[in-house]
Amino acid sequence: MSCQEYQRQIVLSLYEELQEGERSGLDTHLRECTGCRQAYKEHQEFSSALAEDETAWELPADLLVESRRALANELDNIERKRSWWRMPAFSVVFTPMRLLESATLIALGLAFGVFISNQQGAPTPTGIDATIASVPQNGRVSNVRIVSTDASTATVEFTGDVVQPLRFTGRLEDDTTRQLLFSAVQDSMNPGSRMQAVEVLARKSSEPSVKEVLIHALLNDENLSVRLKAFEGLKPFAGDEDVRTAFMEALMKDPNDGVRVAVVDALAPFTKSEAMANSIEAVTRYDENNYVRLKGQGLIHMVGAQR
Amino acid sequence: MEAVLGRAEQAAYDSDEEKLLIEQAQNGSREAFEELVRKHDRDILRLAFHMLGNREEAREVFQETFLKAYRSLSRFRFESSFYTWIYRIATNVSLDHLRKRQTLKEEISYESDTESNPDRPALKDTLAATTYYSNPERRLYGKEVGERIQEALKSLSEKERLVFELRHYQGLRLRMIGEIMGSTEETAKNYLFRATQKLRAQLGKV
Repeated sequence: MSCQEYQRQIVLSLYEELQEGERSGLDTHLRECTGCRQAYKEHQEFSSALAEDETAWELPADLLVESRRALANELDNIERKRSWWRMPAFSVVFTPMRLLESATLIALGLAFGVFISNQQGAPTPTGIDATIASVPQNGRVSNVRIVSTDASTATVEFTGDVVQPLRFTGRLEDDTTRQLLFSAVQDSMNPGSRMQAVEVLARKSSEPSVKEVLIHALLNDENLSVRLKAFEGLKPFAGDEDVRTAFMEALMKDPNDGVRVAVVDALAPFTKSEAMANSIEAVTRYDENNYVRLKGQGLIHMVGAQR
Repeated sequence: MEAVLGRAEQAAYDSDEEKLLIEQAQNGSREAFEELVRKHDRDILRLAFHMLGNREEAREVFQETFLKAYRSLSRFRFESSFYTWIYRIATNVSLDHLRKRQTLKEEISYESDTESNPDRPALKDTLAATTYYSNPERRLYGKEVGERIQEALKSLSEKERLVFELRHYQGLRLRMIGEIMGSTEETAKNYLFRATQKLRAQLGKV
């Protein structure tokens, strides 16, 4: 084997990539060849020099956090787009089990339809119960579709949804009031309405269904004020597991410093275990906000000191 | 280096828990997918950042890698470890970015740097100097060394750089690197040797 080939083996040996036989062959050659021994020494020094490269192991502190956030947002977008395809009726993955499930659902639906129509005696031509004589005053019709036209009698049959203005007064304890508030938080286009709804609901945030809606607002609402209001409602329950999990998620992905600062502060009094402190520290380690980062580190010391 | 190697090998073969996560993710669990991401995202981002040398592109490669994984996870058949699979995606995406940029196409001749910068100290001298200084100063020198290495890495071809990055910084075995590249261990060895030779020439005689 030539010295040039041994040079290659020298590099591989420093990366511990030589087979045992190759290794002993190289050792024998190095004992005999001054040139290769010198080359080995130089390669060794070079490897040590590279190992001194302090920047090599470092990622910019905030880059991982930023990248994770961007990825999470992108996954959210994909899931939103996909979500309607996941409904059984739109499923595009036809496994035998799915087909069986779908067939069963269709059969049940047909049976139910037949049962209902038999019960009602004379069905409406379209099978829609809510046939109306006129559009209600102040009502708005959306999703209009022409079902049939009959030129001989000049009649047209439509289907559609009637949306009517609503005024409702109810107590927070009432189911209808709750449902309307939940709708406002989740569906309203108006951030002011969402914030008001969150503010009202926050008075009952100890209740599981309310808590769930507030968590949804904290983690998903695009408006900062709404998220902060939801946070305030949830804060007294930071010791509850579902709230704590939501806070951890907010700490990880909320783009606003104020929310993350508030969340890390709220988690602090409930951080009793080393595992919890470690989780918070891991989530905040690369946070771009100094306070959040230091607070995360501080919790580990705090838990340690309490022991 | 030992720590990195240990971590990389553990990640490559730590498969029982991972297999379960992959199956859950294949069945649509976003949580399981995110946990898989968490297991590897730091390594993938480091690879992208080193390969591309800037934040924006590193973030793009990171995102593209995991989105590709997300979309094609249903086709993962456990024929390789997840670690190898995700690295293969990441290296392909990184190489695509490098090719698009076309800045690493030109090979820089071995001698040019030391000859055109006769006043620049050899890497060994820079490092030797660092040992005499207190920590912050040492960090500064360390940074300088890092910058010189980053510069020297640009003299490598795409594949040489990739193999050097995966072996030296990410601690993967050459056998696995060959697998990731869709090539052989022997080819990976050749790339590593050439990369080391070029880097030594670029960084001065140590």
